[in-house]
Amino acid sequence: MFVRFMAAEAEEPIVQIRELFKVYQQGEINVTALNGISLDIARGEFLTLMGPSGSGKSTLLHIIAGVDRPSSGSCHVQGIDVTALNESELADWRNHNVGFVFQTFNLIPVLTAYENVELPLLLTRLSSGERRRQVQTALELVGLADRQHHLPRQLSGGQEQRVAIARALVTDPSLIVADEPTGNLDSHSAQDVLTILQSLSRSAGKTVIMVTHDPKAAAYGSRSVHLEKGELSN
Amino acid sequence: MTLTGFIAKNALRNKRRLVLSVTSVAVSLFLLVALQVALRELTNPINDEGSSLRIIVRNKVSLAQPLPARQLQVLERIPGIAAITPFTFYGGLYKGDEKFTSFAQFAVDPARTLPLITDAKVPREQLEAWLADRTSCIVGKMTAERYGLKIGDRMQFTSQLYPADLEFKIVGIYEGTADDRNVFFHHKYLDESLGNPGTVGTWWVRAASIEEAPLVTARINQAFANSSAEVRAESERAFVLGFVSMWGNIQNLISGISVVVVFALLLVTVSTMSMAIRERFRELAILKAIGFRRRELFAFILAESFGLALLGGVLGVGGAYFLCNSLDIQKLSNGLFLLFEVTPRMVGFGFSVAALLGVLAAAAPMITVARTSVVEGLKTLD
Ligand SMILES: Nc1ncnc2c1ncn2[C@@H]1O[C@H](COP(=O)(O)OP(=O)(O)O)[C@@H](O)[C@H]1O
Ligand SMILES: [Mg+2]
Repeated sequence: MFVRFMAAEAEEPIVQIRELFKVYQQGEINVTALNGISLDIARGEFLTLMGPSGSGKSTLLHIIAGVDRPSSGSCHVQGIDVTALNESELADWRNHNVGFVFQTFNLIPVLTAYENVELPLLLTRLSSGERRRQVQTALELVGLADRQHHLPRQLSGGQEQRVAIARALVTDPSLIVADEPTGNLDSHSAQDVLTILQSLSRSAGKTVIMVTHDPKAAAYGSRSVHLEKGELSN
Repeated sequence: MTLTGFIAKNALRNKRRLVLSVTSVAVSLFLLVALQVALRELTNPINDEGSSLRIIVRNKVSLAQPLPARQLQVLERIPGIAAITPFTFYGGLYKGDEKFTSFAQFAVDPARTLPLITDAKVPREQLEAWLADRTSCIVGKMTAERYGLKIGDRMQFTSQLYPADLEFKIVGIYEGTADDRNVFFHHKYLDESLGNPGTVGTWWVRAASIEEAPLVTARINQAFANSSAEVRAESERAFVLGFVSMWGNIQNLISGISVVVVFALLLVTVSTMSMAIRERFRELAILKAIGFRRRELFAFILAESFGLALLGGVLGVGGAYFLCNSLDIQKLSNGLFLLFEVTPRMVGFGFSVAALLGVLAAAAPMITVARTSVVEGLKTLD
């Protein structure tokens, strides 16, 4: 027990954030979205980001996931400073390391569930057989193997969100980011989605970072941090 | 699914819009090619090679004013002239035609005319028969076929210019000239019917060489300067252009319309593409988020826009090609239009416009996509 604890302690955090600032310039006024955030996230954690609307949760998540850049500070993910990568390197990095789940309108409406999940794999060199296997596995993991030929509009909101999770998983990234993934779902569907995210961190060893303002959703996480006006409050 | 499949699915997502925009591209390109065909039809006689050797000499005052027949002696002494014949437009209405006869009849001196129509293929014995018989004529193959005429038949005309209704016996049928429609007959026959007025409509001259043609033209003009019948000599090319000077305006008009068509087409495709992409802004942001690079998104947009324009091109240019080359325009237009064909160059032009359209229509959405970050893209519709 002690040895394992030591080993875990010795392992580098997957995400290391230091003195992160994000300031938006709106005419004369500066809006500080992130005000000097420092945060470590351990591998396999299911971290929930909570806080009132406008507190900077999405901004922080976007920077960690490499779709936004901070005004200053650093953000290392698996030892790589994502703030230092250029556009094209970042795109490639995201494809391999990050899976995204958004609140709504996640899926491409003209593609079936299967094709939506396959989308990130089109950028890889996998053979079509390997692709099929990975898509199938991801869909099974979210319990939608039987819905693979359905279009998004033929799925319920919860099912759509699960397809989005499958798509986030399919490239086997170490980081899954989700911005209020249950915000538009009924409590039952929300529960399904949260259970899947939880098991991803528990049994698949994924690091999950989820933004939510629902304490019940946050309860599924292994740790919760609160943002208040761009600062961590506890 | 392949990337191509993905592009196709995106393009097909709004079928009505796709059909409408492809149709508008197709119709416009059809129009564009049809205009090119018409333009070629109008300019074609001018580009005939033999016509650069031939010179038409007409009265300086106007084409309707005759020239004195005695000018021939002066003309014959001008250096650089290989052949010369009187050349008078008879303006006959062919018996049976209501208002308009689609071929011209020219009174000429047959013996002198032969060197001027070297491109015409006529059997030797037919030529001899023509030279021998004062009331005979030779007819272009197209006219002969159109009216079902053969050697030995007679043609009756009422002139709309001269008080002389003539009847000719067909002794020869020629082909191989730029316009195998005309009738050539003896000037003497016309002169006699008019009581030998000693005038001709124009002179038809052949220069000895293409290099000398402009000099010959100048010499002729000079020879009759300050005479009672001043002339204007010009190459057949220039003459045809002047004869139908309004065609010059039509050319400008056609070019103008073509430009407008292309411009309208551009607006339609650009707005269609912009609309198609704007609708998908959030999706493009999601694609970016999951690792698609800018250049891949560019490729999607370009492929879709290009595909749309090219499909329109195939339908429009192909339609024009099919229509022009399968319909008998000559018959439909009463022989007014001869060629009416879509040349490979026009096909190339049509497709170039389509390709250019595809690229230009993609440009604006590409710029917007490049400028928009994932985060901004995700905010739309949220
Ligand atoms: N593009 C922007 N321009 C100006 N201010 C922005 C922009 N994006 C976000 N903000 C501001 O940054 C702050 C944090 O936004 P966000 O991270 O979206 O909050 P949350 O996700 O916690 O609701 C808010 O005050 C918001 O108004
Ligand atoms: Mg937010």
